[in-house]
Parts: sequence; structure tokens; C-alpha cells
Amino acid sequence: MIAELFYRRQALVLGTLSMIGIVAFWQIAVDTGFINPFFISTPSQVAVEFMAQFEDGSVATNVAATLYCFAWSLGLAAVVGIVLGMLAGWFADVESALEPFIWFKYSAPTVAFYPLFVAWLGYGRPTIIAIAFLFALTPIYANTLSGIKNTDRDLARAARSFGAKPLDIFLRVALPGSVPVMMAGLRLGVGRALTGVVVAELFGANAGLGYAITYYGQLMQTTKMMVSIVIVVVLGVLLTQILSFLETRTDSWRVDNNR
Amino acid sequence: MAQIEIRDLGIDYRKPKSNEVFSAVDSVALSVEKGEFVTIVGSSGCGKSTLLMAVAGLVSLTRGSIEIDGKRVDGPGPDRAVVFQEASLLPWRSVRGNVKFGLEMQRWSGGDLNERAMQMIRLVGLGRFSDYHPHQLSGGMRQRVNIARALAVDPEVLLMDEPFGALDAQTREIMGTELLRIWERAKKTALFVTHDIDEAIFLADKIVVMGRNPGHIKEVIKVDLPRPRNEAILDSEEFHELRKRLRAHLAEDMSSMQLVQEVA
Ligand SMILES: Nc1ncnc2c1ncn2[C@@H]1O[C@H](COP(=O)(O)OP(=O)(O)O)[C@@H](O)[C@H]1O
Ligand SMILES: [Mg+2]
Repeated sequence: MIAELFYRRQALVLGTLSMIGIVAFWQIAVDTGFINPFFISTPSQVAVEFMAQFEDGSVATNVAATLYCFAWSLGLAAVVGIVLGMLAGWFADVESALEPFIWFKYSAPTVAFYPLFVAWLGYGRPTIIAIAFLFALTPIYANTLSGIKNTDRDLARAARSFGAKPLDIFLRVALPGSVPVMMAGLRLGVGRALTGVVVAELFGANAGLGYAITYYGQLMQTTKMMVSIVIVVVLGVLLTQILSFLETRTDSWRVDNNR
Repeated sequence: MAQIEIRDLGIDYRKPKSNEVFSAVDSVALSVEKGEFVTIVGSSGCGKSTLLMAVAGLVSLTRGSIEIDGKRVDGPGPDRAVVFQEASLLPWRSVRGNVKFGLEMQRWSGGDLNERAMQMIRLVGLGRFSDYHPHQLSGGMRQRVNIARALAVDPEVLLMDEPFGALDAQTREIMGTELLRIWERAKKTALFVTHDIDEAIFLADKIVVMGRNPGHIKEVIKVDLPRPRNEAILDSEEFHELRKRLRAHLAEDMSSMQLVQEVA
């Protein structure tokens, strides 16, 4: 217990140290003329530029635009992925029927659908949400499916011995038993939804972090571009951490987690 | 009339993939009186679990019939409750939540669910642990929860499939004595599967000895040791006699197994 705490503390300290090290190296490498700031800017310039963009409100605008699409795509992917995953996990026929789509999704890069969505939905938010939805859907669906499908047979049998009907077994054995795996799927989905939104914004948008990155990228304004890249990274880490936290809360009953 | 009446029971399993049929239990006939404690003993694979699960209504019969209080068994029912070997508790539910499970399934209407569950938890001696989760309990404690869960639904018949099979010898002995204490108070008919000879004798009013290929009943032995029982009877003359008799049965089974292996 104490050793574990120490280990976690140590991991946190080491992680922080290595981050600081890289930022320092970045700053020094540019200051000493080792790297041309044109390609990568410097941490101090990025910090100053961040404050400027923060004050003129463009950070808020871009973050809001990105989060808006993120929330919609993740929400849709969660609802569709969990519902389809539950159906496919419970009814083998549904799983077989959905199988080809899943293989298709695994083997074809999702961005390849971008032009198609543009043709259907035009440039802008609907297309961004659709792309990010597809990014996030697979892990949520796949994890829900495997959670329900791998319901403990002994538990199901014990439930049956007390007169549980299939619906009881689904609601009281299969579903609660799958929550941790579903949460893990959602955590993966969060990362992918954010990636999906930013990638789609790179191609066509009028606001958002991805839009800001391409916009300044095309103008070769590296510092301004780096601001949005850093925000994307921080957002990604933050959102994933929140989900990791929720995940450990939901599977505290797992034996290997507490011993 | 007997409470449990098993007539000419046969259960076949279809081997997965091939279409071969394999008989796990055949020509089994057995009557169990109300309130009787019957142990079923035999080497592993001789069909003890299959027989018990058939009475539970969890496997379908190929031949014959099982009646409980004159009603034909064709699925699980509130008149029976099972204690499985593997703890089979819902890991995300507390002890109390698990004991309530059977009551919820049977839409129990005998008053407050919590109250009833707590009563059973105290009966098995886990009063202080009602908010613990299964992973926080020892194997013996988990089996006590299993017993409480089964007793909570107030069944006529308690079916137990090697409930102490995974416990160490000492815990197992304690659990056996405990089980008798609980059984004497609850006065349920009990079918108890084990492959431990001492356990089979210690608990039983009647021992059913099973043999294999296919699973059948070799002998039914009455046990007249006085109740209430404690460890002292393990040293009694009658206990030794019974132990010798059961040993001979199981040894016979072992040698027939070796023969099959040598031929194969
Ligand atoms: N679901 C099943 N499908 C096929 N064969 C089974 C199944 N369950 C048990 N068997 C076989 O039936 C025989 C009796 O098994 P079981 O009743 O579990 O014996 P025991 O409880 O005495 O060890 C064994 O040979 C076992 O392999
Ligand atoms: Mg068995």
C-alpha cells in the first residue's frame, strides 16, 4: 500500500521531470542557435502568444468550437456504440450482421470518408461531428460487445437458479459486469473523438483548434500554431485522465484492482 | 410420500462439435424424505453435479422424471435453492446485496428485503461484514454468503454442489459443523455433493454412493449417528466402519478407471 503510493508518487515526479526537461531542452536548443525557431518556436514565445490569444478571446472561441463538436461526436458515439454493442453482445445474430461493417471500419482509414461527408453534409460542423463520431465509435462498440458477450457463465447460472429470466440476467448480471470494460471503451473513445474533431477541422472549418493549426500553419506562423497544438495535447490528457478516474471508480470491485 | 422422488433418471450430453451422445447419468432412482440431509459422494466425473443440477432444474432430463412434493421439475423454482462450488457471488454487490439477489428475483413479498437479508447474514455469522464486497472476504466467508443467499428465499430443498470443495481442510471442518448448526435450525431438506468421505458421513442422514460410466447409484447407506453432531463422532466406531465401506467403493471406482486407461 505504502510502497504503491510511493511508486505512484515517484511515477508522477519522474513524468513531470521529463516534461520539464523536454521544455527546457526545447528552449535552450533554440536559444543557443542549435535549432531554428522558425520550425518550432520556443516555449517562452508560445507562452507569451498564448496569453495574447487568451486575452483577445480566440483561445476561448477555438476551444469552444472544438469542444462543441467533440461533445456531440462523443455523445453520439457513446449512445450508438453502447446500444449496438449491447445488442450484438447479447444476440449473436446481431453481432454477425454488424461484423462486416466493423471489419470495414478497421481496415479503411476513416478520414478517407471525408470527401463523402462533405458531399452529403457540406463543409462545417456536421461533417466534423460525423468524422469524429466514426473515430470514436469502434472502441466503444467493441468493448461493450465483449463485456456483454463474456458475461460470467457461472454467475448467469446462479442467477437462473434463483429464477432470473433472460432480461433479469441482462440487467443485473451482464450489464453491471460490463461497466468497467465499457468505461475503458469510453476512455479510448474520448481520445479518438478529440483526434477526429481536430483532424476534420484541419481540412475544413471556420473555427476550432484544428482550424487554427492549419490557418497559422499555412501562414508559417509557427508560434501561433504551437499555441493550439499545446492546447489540444493538454485537452486530450485532461479528458482522458477524467475518464481514467471514472474507470477506476467503477471497477473497484475487481479483485486484481484492490489486491 | 417422499419430498424428492427421482425415477429412472437419465441425462445425456451431446459432445460439442461431433454429434456423439454421451450418457452422464443413467437409471438413477432416489427418494429423499422431508427434512433429510442426503450427501452424494463419488469420484470426480461420476455425474454428481449433473444429478444435482437436474434437481435444480438447470439441466434438462433425457429420460425419467424428478418430482418435488408431487410436482414435476421442469426448471428452477422457488422451492429449491442452490449453493455452488465456485462462490458465484456478484462481485459488484455487497454481502447484503448478494443475499438480496434471490429475494429480488423471486419478487419476495414477505416484508422488508433488507431486514430479511440481514437476518440471514447474522444466521451465518457475518453480521459485521454485511457491507463488505466479495473480494474482501475469505473463501469460507464467501461460501457463508452463498448459503445465506440460498436460505434467504426460504426454499423447501437446499442443493449444495461441493460448497466447501475449494476450502482448506480446517476451514472445511468448521464450515461442516456450522452448516449442521444452521440446518438444524432451518430444517430444510438438503442434497449435498462432495467427494470427501469424512464430510459425506459427518453431515448425512443418508449417503448416496455414485459410480461412473455412466453415472449411477451404487449404494444408499443410512447413517444413524446421533445429532447434534460434533468432531467427537469422527473417532466413533460407527464412523470408522462407514469410512471403510466408502473407501472400498471409491477404490473400486479407481481401479476400474485404471483398467479403462490401460485398455485405451
Ligand atoms: N455441459 C456438459 N457437456 C458435456 N459433458 C458434460 C457437461 N457437464 C458435465 N459433462 C460430463 O459429464 C460427466 C459428469 O460430470 P459431472 O456431473 O460434473 O461429474 P462430477 O460432478 O461427479 O464430477 C463428466 O464426464 C463430464 O465431463
Ligand atoms: Mg462436480
